[in-house]
Amino acid sequence: MSLTTLLQALVSGALVGCLYALIAAGFSLVLSVSRGLNLAHGELVVLGGYAGYAAWLLLGVHPLLLLPLAALATLPLGLVWDRLTARLAPPVELWSCVLTFGLSLLLQSAMTGFWSGEYRLLASPALGHGVALGGVALSHARLAAALVALAAVGALALGLRRARWGRAIRATSLDRDAASLLGIDVERATRLAFVLAFGLAGGAGLLFATIHYLYPAAGSELTLLAITLAIWAGIGRMRALLFGGVALGVVEALTVAVAGTGWREPALALLLLASLLARGGALAREFGRRS
Amino acid sequence: MKLAAVLLVLAVLPLLGPPAYYLYLFSTAYQFATLATAWSLLAYGGQVSFGQAAFFGLGAYGAALASLHGASLWLTISLGAALAGAGGAAVGLAAGRLNGAALALATLATAELLRGVALNWTALTGGGSGLVGIPSIPSLPGIPLELGGRRVGAYHLSLATLAAALTISAVVLRSRAGLALAALREGETRGALLGLRPVPWKVLAFALSGVATGLAGAVYAHTLGAVEPDVVFGRVFSIAPLVMATLGGRSLLGPAAAAVALYLVSELVFHPLAPALHQLPYALALIAVTLIRPAWRRIP
Repeated sequence: MSLTTLLQALVSGALVGCLYALIAAGFSLVLSVSRGLNLAHGELVVLGGYAGYAAWLLLGVHPLLLLPLAALATLPLGLVWDRLTARLAPPVELWSCVLTFGLSLLLQSAMTGFWSGEYRLLASPALGHGVALGGVALSHARLAAALVALAAVGALALGLRRARWGRAIRATSLDRDAASLLGIDVERATRLAFVLAFGLAGGAGLLFATIHYLYPAAGSELTLLAITLAIWAGIGRMRALLFGGVALGVVEALTVAVAGTGWREPALALLLLASLLARGGALAREFGRRS
Repeated sequence: MKLAAVLLVLAVLPLLGPPAYYLYLFSTAYQFATLATAWSLLAYGGQVSFGQAAFFGLGAYGAALASLHGASLWLTISLGAALAGAGGAAVGLAAGRLNGAALALATLATAELLRGVALNWTALTGGGSGLVGIPSIPSLPGIPLELGGRRVGAYHLSLATLAAALTISAVVLRSRAGLALAALREGETRGALLGLRPVPWKVLAFALSGVATGLAGAVYAHTLGAVEPDVVFGRVFSIAPLVMATLGGRSLLGPAAAAVALYLVSELVFHPLAPALHQLPYALALIAVTLIRPAWRRIP
């Protein structure tokens, strides 16, 4: 592998990694307030991508202008997921897996019925070019995705830290009962976190569609990725999530550069498996502390 | 005894001369029933698997590879089951460190990992297009060929697989192992304090569940004549047993009966309506079973 290939893998991996961090941020937000693992998170991202793609075909405007639209497409589902998750029997972690496994299959079926199984790419000419930095090519699509994702993760982190609603969400995720005793409307904070996470997923889907082919089953690897990042970063640590996302993007890009595109998915699955074995206990303890 | 009678009646059904398609349909239904029974063996010990497709695929590929290298039917099926059992034991070892949701995710990741390996290890597995030309199962001696042709053999072997899975389940649940598994389910820490070592029992449960699932996978490979990574390691073979066994409840035969019923509904009702949506009944049943939470639900 030449130095240029290596640099190229590092740079484009790091850029995509920012988008991964954004995807994982929504997953981890839901996990923190509801203790529910949303195995349909990747499907929501893909759904947002399809919505953005359809709107782009229809309107023909710059893809980034369609971000709010893609976010709006998945956002209402947050309310549905919130209600369904609230009805789960304990242990919520396990039952939420079962529920959302079904929901992911439902979404996949719906997307297959709606858009068929063909591969689609939001290949807008507005993002078609790129810049070259000493032999390393940076496509506009990747740059835009990374910048928007960084901005979104930053804004989310800031909101969670400073804003009233953000503090309500953090308090709810730390200790639901105590937050409730302090007069925080925990139901509302949970609902807000779901809606926020789903909106972020939809928006991330649009960005995803500009750099990656969409097909109904594309979401399952995004879910695996989000779980891996949630394990790496712990719950609710945005900066760690960002570093983790970039690291994961780089590992993925290096795998593709060394072994070929086909090994991307098995490498991601292997990473998740290894992370679970190394830190699954930690995740369980985190749950235990919260229950 | 009742069970033996039911199986015997099912075994003579092909003598009535149903169309070959129905024989195929019921062979697949029995394979799903085997999967559901194998899944509930794990659930009995409190372990929820989201990745039975891993063992199904191992069984299918093990049998397919062995038969393409010239092994006889009994050998291919034993090899498939053994490979899946070994895979199960490996997952069981990992399960010693994991519980609940983390274990469920680990099994899911295992199935995805094996699917990816099967897709990419083209020299061995034929890559995305899989392996074809796996010989079909001959009929039992004495059965006239005009009865369903080459489908009768698959029917009987699928039924035998189901019988094997039910027997394994029944024997395990009535033995010391069943007691240990029940203790793990009710409280692993408590069991450990009383001197129960969880890991060997988890390995045993996963290995047996793997063997039964792998048997079904091996018979599937011979029934269809072809294996493909996206199919045999696909999500359907992970979700279906989970749904079917949770619907079927706690009895020995419940999961198998629910599997046959759900599979037939899916194939005879949903598939003609909308072929692209054949996974829909599984998705809906899974969501319903999580939310409605009947008293007989299976997962601890």
